[in-house]
Amino acid sequence: MLRSSLERQLNILDYALSSLWRRRLKSLSIMLVFAAVIFLLASFQMVTTSLSQAAGRALARAPEITVQRMVAGRQETIPLAYLDKLSAIFGIRKVVPRIWGYHFDASNGANYTVMGLDPAVMPLGESLNLTLAEGRFFTDSEKGKAVVGQAIPASMGLADRRTFSLFRPDLTLKPFTITGVFAPGTELLTHDLIVTTLADARDLFAIPPDRVTDFCVYVANPAEIQTIARKIADRLPDTRVLTRPQIQKTYQVVFGWRSGFGSICLLTALAAFAILAWDKASGLSPEERREIGILKVLGWETADVLAVRFWEGLLISALAFGVGCLLAWIHVVYFGAALFRPVMVGWSVIYPPLALVPNLALADFLLIFAFTVMPYLAVTVIPAWRAATVPPDSAIR
Amino acid sequence: MRPSTILFIVLLLLLGAESGLAFHGAYLRAEQRAQEPELDIVTAGLGLSDLCVATEARYTRNPAASDRVVPFMDHPGAVEHFPTGSFWAPPPYMRF
Amino acid sequence: MLIELQQVTKIYNQGRANEVKALDEVSLAIAPGSMVCLRGASGSGKSTLLAIIGCIFPPTSGKAAIGGKPLSRLPDRFLTIHRRQFIGFIFQQFNVLPELSVLDNVTLPLLPLGVPPRERRERGLRLLEQLAISHRKSFAANQISGGELQRVAIARALVNDPPIILADEPTAHLDTRLSKEFMKIMAGLKAAGKTIVITSHDPLVTEHAAVERIVDIRDGRIHVS
Repeated sequence: MLRSSLERQLNILDYALSSLWRRRLKSLSIMLVFAAVIFLLASFQMVTTSLSQAAGRALARAPEITVQRMVAGRQETIPLAYLDKLSAIFGIRKVVPRIWGYHFDASNGANYTVMGLDPAVMPLGESLNLTLAEGRFFTDSEKGKAVVGQAIPASMGLADRRTFSLFRPDLTLKPFTITGVFAPGTELLTHDLIVTTLADARDLFAIPPDRVTDFCVYVANPAEIQTIARKIADRLPDTRVLTRPQIQKTYQVVFGWRSGFGSICLLTALAAFAILAWDKASGLSPEERREIGILKVLGWETADVLAVRFWEGLLISALAFGVGCLLAWIHVVYFGAALFRPVMVGWSVIYPPLALVPNLALADFLLIFAFTVMPYLAVTVIPAWRAATVPPDSAIR
Repeated sequence: MRPSTILFIVLLLLLGAESGLAFHGAYLRAEQRAQEPELDIVTAGLGLSDLCVATEARYTRNPAASDRVVPFMDHPGAVEHFPTGSFWAPPPYMRF
Repeated sequence: MLIELQQVTKIYNQGRANEVKALDEVSLAIAPGSMVCLRGASGSGKSTLLAIIGCIFPPTSGKAAIGGKPLSRLPDRFLTIHRRQFIGFIFQQFNVLPELSVLDNVTLPLLPLGVPPRERRERGLRLLEQLAISHRKSFAANQISGGELQRVAIARALVNDPPIILADEPTAHLDTRLSKEFMKIMAGLKAAGKTIVITSHDPLVTEHAAVERIVDIRDGRIHVS
């Protein structure tokens, strides 16, 4: 009994396959269009997942609190004198002044991120040499030294030279000697980075000696980040206090926002496809009507005819799902999501490499499945019910 | 060969390709995981707060520096959504 | 009796403006192994009668029993199962699926029965051989001649090995030679023990030696001649 009902489903599957094969051009094009829609949705899902995973991971060790000064609604340099006020707050373990900003290199149109601080006082600062592909980190007493990301020598065309110069605001040149280059494995964070001492950064940007751009604040007990942030805001009312959880949240929101933006664009495509599929499935051509009538007279039950339609829909959507997800993975992992890069991260003169390997859970696939295959099955199988209830005598009239 | 057998072969091939990619993905992830200690040192040691995925906006490398009062936005209520404001680089004749 | 109808009435679109009474209290009994011809003009109700015998729909009122099973109370699903077991249909225009191969067309009724492919093929081929068209087995049904098509339709009706063969105006689109050939095959089936009911007004059918009985139908009633 079980065997025969299995055999019967296989027979019906055979019939569905051969009827798909008979209309192979049509079936294939529907399948490919559907696969393309799934590919786009799945790519978005994968890029979002991997970017937020990477961000969440990287930000886990970001400074707990960053303090910046605001003047007229804009970020300004912050006086070093604030350091004393900060240190007086109970619960703060360490405050590190730093200068960090962007340097626009007019000759090749690229933006570099310049960071001036004393690595020795930072957490894990003593291990920083491990992150270099070559050379070493400078000490705070050295002058004109820099550790740079992989993009810098390439973008400046340094070849084997280990010195470069950047313009100060008054267009005089500030020379640097490269003491180390970050390892390629850290590119996700260091690609465009020029790290130098606080004194050299101040010199480059012409910042007064009693000023820095922000303070990194480390607290004794991470559970008290919020409390201490509030205390800082109370004591230094002209500052903006950013906490690590805030930044993490911003990141998730930014990627979520972007992916949502893209997904909404794609959902219209999906809706258009669903309408098309509905139209195709609900309109019963005289040939189809006749075929169903014949099958029913020949002893096919309504359930059998419905099963044919169901198999057809399931096969098209399952194959499209498999192919779409496969291509999306290849697109994201091996091509760095080249198609969506502009939408997700915008453009760059220095193109940072994007090594994305999403850590996908079953839930991610189920989400894509629920948004694509389910609606397709719904819009194709439900109207098929009407088709399947064609009375058998329509074949003999 | 009956059509359903061919289908099963096709599905098997697809499954094979997918599990091949899954294995390679696991390998790539393991490779990435191996670099995580280095990334930890970099973020902690330099106090970084941002990924380097694009480099062309004032706050690209530091979304912490973006807020609702950044000047020159589309309008005061618009949270700037793309790190570089636009999808693609401006064409050469529009650059300085 | 293999086929037994008592005061069968069939009304289409009952209770609506376009209500049509196609059969009006028809009683008919057909013994196993006989060949009966239902004769009447188009619209006389003979196709409706054939459809009731063929378990396509139950009568509106009256009793119909095919193979000893009353149809009146059977829901659609059981009618189908019953039809599968007892009835082989041959249609006026043969109603083959044009893009399917000859063999696939013949074995179509076996699919929902769960007959495995090898057995399906064997049974189909055996019938095609008996009907002398096995050389056309892989041709698409729209590539073969009318005479061959007719044999495909016969083979399809026989593939379930049903006790009853129903043919609806089978010779309407055939020339004299093919019509005669068709009746020859039917006579052979009758000799093999099948019960055959044919609707027709073609003298080649009605006056064939194998036809034992002609039932005249006019305006939904049986006229005894």
